[in-house]
Amino acid sequence: MTAKTPKTPKKPKDKRIGLFVCHCGVNIASVVDVEKVAEALKDYPGVSVSTDYVYMCSDPGQQMIIDTIKEKHLDGIIVAACSPTLHEKTFQEAAKLAGLNPYQIEIANIREQDSWVHSDKEKATKKAIRIVKSHVEKAIQNEDLAPITVDVNRRALVIGGGVSGLQAALDIADHGYEVILVEKAPSIGGKMIQLSETFPTLDCSQCILTPKMVEVSRHPRIKLLTYHEVDSISGFVGNFKVKIRKKPRYVDETLCNLCGECEKVCPQIVPDEFNMGLSFRKAIYMPFPQAIPGTYTLDAEHCLGLSPVRCGKCKDVCEKKAIDYDMKETILEEEVGAVVVATGYDLYTMQALGEYGGEKYEDVVNGLEFERILSASGPTGGEVLRPSDGKVPKSVVFVQCCGSRDTEHHLPYCSKICCMYTAKHAMLYKHRVPDGQATVFYIDVRTGGKAFDEFYQRAVEEDKVLYVRGKVSKIFKEDGKLIVWGVDTLTGKKLEVEADMVVLAMAMVKADGIEDLLRKLKIATDIHGFVAEAHPKLRPVESLNAGFFLAGCAHGPKDIPEAVAQASAAAAKVGDLFAQAELVHEPTVVPVNDELCSGCGICVTMCPYGARTLDPDKGVVVVNEILCEGCGACAAACPSGAAQQRNQTDGQIFSMLRAMLRE
Amino acid sequence: MKLHYYPGCTLKDKTTGLDISTREAMKRLDVELVEPDGWTCCGAEYPLTGEKIAGLAAPIRVLRQVRDEGGDIVVTTCSFCYSVLKRSNKALRDDPVKRKRINAFLRDDIQIDPLTKERTTGFADYNGEVQVLHLLEYLRDRVGFPRVRERIKRDLGMLPVAAYYGCRLLRPKEEMGFDEPDSPHLFEEFLEAVGCAAVDYPFKQECCGSYLAVSMPDAATEASYRVLRSAKMNGARAITVTCPLCFYNLDHRQETIKTAYLDFAGLPVLFFTQLLAWALGVDKALLGLGDHKVPADALFVERPAPEVRT
Repeated sequence: MTAKTPKTPKKPKDKRIGLFVCHCGVNIASVVDVEKVAEALKDYPGVSVSTDYVYMCSDPGQQMIIDTIKEKHLDGIIVAACSPTLHEKTFQEAAKLAGLNPYQIEIANIREQDSWVHSDKEKATKKAIRIVKSHVEKAIQNEDLAPITVDVNRRALVIGGGVSGLQAALDIADHGYEVILVEKAPSIGGKMIQLSETFPTLDCSQCILTPKMVEVSRHPRIKLLTYHEVDSISGFVGNFKVKIRKKPRYVDETLCNLCGECEKVCPQIVPDEFNMGLSFRKAIYMPFPQAIPGTYTLDAEHCLGLSPVRCGKCKDVCEKKAIDYDMKETILEEEVGAVVVATGYDLYTMQALGEYGGEKYEDVVNGLEFERILSASGPTGGEVLRPSDGKVPKSVVFVQCCGSRDTEHHLPYCSKICCMYTAKHAMLYKHRVPDGQATVFYIDVRTGGKAFDEFYQRAVEEDKVLYVRGKVSKIFKEDGKLIVWGVDTLTGKKLEVEADMVVLAMAMVKADGIEDLLRKLKIATDIHGFVAEAHPKLRPVESLNAGFFLAGCAHGPKDIPEAVAQASAAAAKVGDLFAQAELVHEPTVVPVNDELCSGCGICVTMCPYGARTLDPDKGVVVVNEILCEGCGACAAACPSGAAQQRNQTDGQIFSMLRAMLRE
Repeated sequence: MKLHYYPGCTLKDKTTGLDISTREAMKRLDVELVEPDGWTCCGAEYPLTGEKIAGLAAPIRVLRQVRDEGGDIVVTTCSFCYSVLKRSNKALRDDPVKRKRINAFLRDDIQIDPLTKERTTGFADYNGEVQVLHLLEYLRDRVGFPRVRERIKRDLGMLPVAAYYGCRLLRPKEEMGFDEPDSPHLFEEFLEAVGCAAVDYPFKQECCGSYLAVSMPDAATEASYRVLRSAKMNGARAITVTCPLCFYNLDHRQETIKTAYLDFAGLPVLFFTQLLAWALGVDKALLGLGDHKVPADALFVERPAPEVRT
């Protein structure tokens, strides 16, 4: 980590500053008299050259800056143009080519903060002159700075072993980097492994996912940690320290040979999560036949008691002696340079929609439950049988937008995949029960995606699925039949439909309890608890917190192809990071002047990035410059002036104010 | 203790059974109900339709009177009165413009004492200080169902009864905050506390037809029929209501329902307070059963409560 000043600085009063005023076509020039601005600054103390040009950011504009710096031996320049968020980098690079330190460049924003928000040309021009003057005052006090550099640890952590996490892990590993994949469940596979067939091709979900699962488990550069959870994380981009909690499985996965004897003798019967509670498993179980790692797991919560005195049947029958009741939770520590968050989603609870009776009637199921009913590996072996009595339902009503797109009572957003999976559900139902009636209640059918609309049309035209445009108000049981009350908004008629079974397309929501983990990672979420991206259009797979990348439904509802694409994009971004020889950090941070610091610690509490700590031995604050984002909160709060932001010192700020306020 | 009680007009005229049984039952729970002096009609549906501020005057005047008499709670039993009072109160609490305008209007009320002929005016502003509670809510939150259980004198023998919430009691959820409109359970808890078996049926919060009884009687007949049929089909021997209008539609119009729907054999309709009063040991003559068109007498069988109840 270095921050060096390359050459002996010139005294401010000797500095030669150049001013370049941009017209931005008519964006600035129509409101601000740019020539007048350049003229007004010509004789301002410190300004050696002052000029204007139509587009400073154009090649000739930049060339003009480069030539002028060289010709006039400038020590600093001001470009009066648009916001620094747009072209500061452009002009810093140009200055570098002319041999000037890039931190001697000032951008005076006379577009967003002047010409775009005013119409009076005279006043706007006056304002522009003041803005530029204040930047001259700052520029003459700017110091040469060099970026801070730090090494990168080229190992990645992927959190979540669903399809997004698997894809991200495989891609990063194939780039040649080591990956640690952490999954909290006993097996990888996520939600996708529970699906029956996938739209719009109707290929078997398990058949396309299990090869990826196997590949992950065999990849030499992937360290697979199932039944583990991320406990805490510290450090910064390129240099994270992660604590991972290993939950006791009570079965040694290296010894377990999957003979299944333990499961046979276990007396405890528990609803099976993999089958969404539609069937039962034992307290010692394997989540599903293709589970990876292939091992039994003892669920201590439902076990009669981890003691041979209480039960101990499984331990007695295990010939391999793989069962160990004394296993304890352990913590392992890893060091990584980047983190991919692929923590997935959950479904909105049926309890939240009491009027649909999902909690009350066994034959009202959610989308994932119906996936299990359709799945060949499900509780009914792929036959469509309803949960209450195992009969074939002759009439199934599908209700879309259960909780989605309901700004008044539930969630305002569209869950995106339900239109397609409902079309798939109705289609698969009709394939298995050709004489059955499938009715879909919908608000709109949204089929944006490759070959999606054709798929939906097939459901309507070939499989004769009846689509009714309208919402369902209530589902209840009368005379042993489910009655669905809804409305057909195309005819304006109230409908009452009898159904043997109802499938609710519940909204997709943030993964249950994920907020704790996200708080530990210090990454931002949107108002619905999904992980927020750095920029909705231009940085869609990165978190604002450097070093964190997003993949899959943790970021918001998406279908499999999109989740996979995002995972690959996140992996590519990790690759970008790891391909750098060292990481570069802006030097405009806020160090501490040891001699002025009284150790009051106010700045420590102000810092949102955890960059500042109080050194108890020295009695002063120390700064981790890599973590400092240069927000300046500490500098404003420091009562003694010990915290001064580089190239934004109190002296500079007061000079700017004086220039701004002087008539 | 004394508790402010707003009976509302219908209880003084058409459904006295609800009023009498309420008073008698609450006496047995050591609560004396007092009516606010000079109360008027709450305005029924009127104050909350549209944005007419003047319509709020009647309910707010009642609430202000309760406050001026030193009350901080007022209970009602009628769903309509409850809805109007509670929502008007909330409108006044939440909306400073309404609060200002209504108070500007009500400040100059003139009250004349009937005995001394003394005139009072210049009333203090009302800012929503009083809490409006439904009697069911009061029983659950202030008295507590365990205490109701302790006072039970007669055994209702787990009579299967359907709780009928109707439309007014629970909605809108944000304003009533009473129970979950789509899966309520308060009324059922009450029935169990007095010794009945609550019947679960899907029409407990559907509309009885309400005022359509006047303008579209056939629609009201069908709506009431479906409620009664559903309750009966699920094993209810009676249906309980909290609202005089529901009572009218379900009880007084049952003859019409029976003529329109031949499969329907009739179901007694009770006020919840009648069950409460009976269980607490009130005399049958004080239940106000005379108002009922569908005879309900036979449901009240004299059976002392078992000695030990928990």
